[in-house]
Amino acid sequence: MNRFFYMKLAYINIKKNSQTYIPYILSCIGTVMMYYIMYALSANKDLDNISGGAQLKSILFLGSFVIGFFAVIFLFYTNSFLIKRRKKEFGLFNILGMEKKHIAKIICFETLYVAFISFVAGILGGILLYKLMYLLLLKILNFEITLGFYVSTSAMFTTLVLFSIIFLLTLLNTLRQIHLAKPVELLKGGQVGEKEPKTRWLLVIIGLLCLGAGYYIAVTTESPISAINLFFVAVILVIIGTYCLFTAISIAILKALRKNKNYYYQANHFTSISGMIYRMKQNAVGLASICVLATTVLVMVSSTVSLYSGMEDVLRTRYPRNIMITSQGISNQHIENINDSVSNILDNHKVEAKNMFDYRYLSFLARQEDNTFTVDSDISYSTKNLINLNFIPLEDYNRIENKSLELNDDEIFIYSVREEYNKDTISIFDKKFKIKDKLNSFKENGWYSSLIIGTHYIVVKDMNVLKEIYQTKKEILEKNKSNPSYYLGFDLNTDEKESIAIYKNLRANLNEKYPDSFIESVASEKESFYSLYGGLFFLGIFLSILFLLATVLIIYYKQISEGYDDKIRFEIMQKVGMSHQEIKKSIGSQILTVFFMPLVVATIHIAFAFKVITKMLAILNLTNISLFVWCTIGSIAVFSLFYAIVYIVTARVYYNIVR
Amino acid sequence: MTILEVNNLKKVYTTRFGGNHVQALTNVSFTVENGEYLAIMGESGSGKTTLLNILASLDKPTSGEVLLNGKSIVSIKEKNISKFRRDNLGFVFQDFNLLDTFSIQDNIFLPLVLSRTSYEEMNNRLKPIAKKLEIEDILNQYPYEVSGGQKQRAAVARAIITNPKLILADEPTGALDSRATEGLLRLFKDINNEGQTILMVTHSIKAASHAKRVLFIKDGEVFHQLYKASMTDEQMYQKISDTLTTIATGGERK
Repeated sequence: MNRFFYMKLAYINIKKNSQTYIPYILSCIGTVMMYYIMYALSANKDLDNISGGAQLKSILFLGSFVIGFFAVIFLFYTNSFLIKRRKKEFGLFNILGMEKKHIAKIICFETLYVAFISFVAGILGGILLYKLMYLLLLKILNFEITLGFYVSTSAMFTTLVLFSIIFLLTLLNTLRQIHLAKPVELLKGGQVGEKEPKTRWLLVIIGLLCLGAGYYIAVTTESPISAINLFFVAVILVIIGTYCLFTAISIAILKALRKNKNYYYQANHFTSISGMIYRMKQNAVGLASICVLATTVLVMVSSTVSLYSGMEDVLRTRYPRNIMITSQGISNQHIENINDSVSNILDNHKVEAKNMFDYRYLSFLARQEDNTFTVDSDISYSTKNLINLNFIPLEDYNRIENKSLELNDDEIFIYSVREEYNKDTISIFDKKFKIKDKLNSFKENGWYSSLIIGTHYIVVKDMNVLKEIYQTKKEILEKNKSNPSYYLGFDLNTDEKESIAIYKNLRANLNEKYPDSFIESVASEKESFYSLYGGLFFLGIFLSILFLLATVLIIYYKQISEGYDDKIRFEIMQKVGMSHQEIKKSIGSQILTVFFMPLVVATIHIAFAFKVITKMLAILNLTNISLFVWCTIGSIAVFSLFYAIVYIVTARVYYNIVR
Repeated sequence: MTILEVNNLKKVYTTRFGGNHVQALTNVSFTVENGEYLAIMGESGSGKTTLLNILASLDKPTSGEVLLNGKSIVSIKEKNISKFRRDNLGFVFQDFNLLDTFSIQDNIFLPLVLSRTSYEEMNNRLKPIAKKLEIEDILNQYPYEVSGGQKQRAAVARAIITNPKLILADEPTGALDSRATEGLLRLFKDINNEGQTILMVTHSIKAASHAKRVLFIKDGEVFHQLYKASMTDEQMYQKISDTLTTIATGGERK
């Protein structure tokens, strides 16, 4: 009977607090569901059959890890909010004669209920939605859709374990708070005389330094290689800076405004500034979290969407022709042999080559200092100012571009990818060349587009110049294997299946005869591209939904808690002689500022991060910056719209409380 | 000169879904002269608070009129009412009603800031008041840092800094200990002696015994009134408690 009583009380408590509990339970269900789906997808064996399936699964697994990690923080945060609101209730129980252990019992039952509902609804919903997500994923990946129902027991088990731990943690945290508090304190609950926040100068300085450093890194990083490494440093700096910005810098600014008597003692500034100081104290962490989440969502969505929608572009940049062959050796005999093998195989398949082009070239990595390019044995991918040089004889260039340009011995043409070269002369080793002209088009060899560093295509007068450069290079770097090579690229007038068959044939044939040959085919690579970019796209969308969910919930709770606090202030101000409109205006402007500040700061973050993100996308071969610009603007617009809707809905809840 | 005139005030509360009518004020009439110190007494539920809310223009009467300096406050338009309240009335509440987000000084400045007074002017006004009320040392502290008596003095400072025609006090000693009560009542007497009109609603006999005149309200009507004239506080105290006993035991109206 006694136990029954506690169970019932726990049930009633949840029901009475439905205004705060329903969103909490919903978000528990949501996170359980998402975790289950993501984990089940990453454990799906069917995905192994896709080319690039392994990397896709590791992306998905990473996703499930992020969700799990996020769930811990998120549910912990919301739970502590709930408990803060309910302290008064517990204090009342305490005064009515319940001991703390009885209260603990009730809380245990409550947690049990919430956990039970979350598990049942979450996993059921997960199983149902899993299928949908799987179909969506396959659709994104461009695969045929298979039917069937799939329940992942391992995912279920992991979900159960992870969330049991999370619920246990929140329970322990609640019990700790109840245990530490005195009944009178509990009864006072949230409304213990709020102290005015102090200006924490140390945090202000740290925050400014972190933000400044983060922005500086993001803006000044030029080389894509360092972009990868420094990006994470910058992200961490900016996150720290954001938290400091909201907790300390905002208060420092507000207090400075308050010091300015003529500004402060004006009817519309007076209440707003002092109100904002307290709002910032209570909400700083929540707002900073929203800001970080919003930034993450925006970066994720804009980059994955632009990667995915720019994929065809990317493929064409990376693989300018359906089949591409590079082979070391430039003797006429060698070139003839390769061409013979190719036409034999194509004949066997009864397929014709189109858009064929070929040239001889020499390519190696060099270190650039001003206008001088040198090589040494220390060169590696972490070398600064590293650049790829690609020499082509004029004869071949004129042939493939249908031109009849002329060059002297000491003259060259230059065509640059990812880097600019704006000098009049160029020194390669000790040899000086005059740049006759910059070319504005060149049939690129797609391979270099997969390099992170830039490439200069340099057209030299003839093979003699090329060989001379080669000799000098060889003297310095004996072991280096980049010898003069032959490049051949062509399209096929057939479907992808046939293309792959031809590719396999070519590869077997040529690799046997010329081990230094390298063959690529767009058809065979397409799947793994889709796996990678599609997987990222899927993950980006999925995580964005989760983060949006979190953002909405944090906003909702923020509005409710502020509503209760403001209600009292609202009444006093009215008695002292503030009109209804004035109060509404003052409160409205405060909420609006607090509400949209994270969004504004997030947008500023993105603006600063823009350059470094484009550098990173360039590594993934997305060089279509205008596409990325539009994707970014689009996602900011969509997010803002969503945010505004959430604001309108929650503001209504807020005004209902205040009124 | 009559500063406040209340004629046949009536207030009926209707529950939200119609049905029950509760008559809070049946028929209240009285006047307050300039420089008076009037206490209104009555038990819980006698209609004191309703009366005060109407005088404070926070609530509207069902019928009857309230004239402040000969002007009806019942007919003031909603959008001017806050300004009217700010300019003409000063409030002192039982629970102080100070805002936690403001320092004591800013709490006192609040009505002036709303009336768009310059900072110099506010400062000039505050100095003598703060000195008189002995709150100079706590001006930069926050409400939660000071004692109840200090809070109430700050609230009084906020009420008088606008030079209101009338100060309305609602159970001003209700949340104070006996020493702070004593101090506050002396303060009221002092500012009244300087010419400030005060209207105080209370059911503390001690508080009422400091007033120059006491009105008794019962069941929404003015039941009786007492003038202090030359009585001492103690004699007045005795007289009030006799009257209350008479009212409580159902005595006839005198």
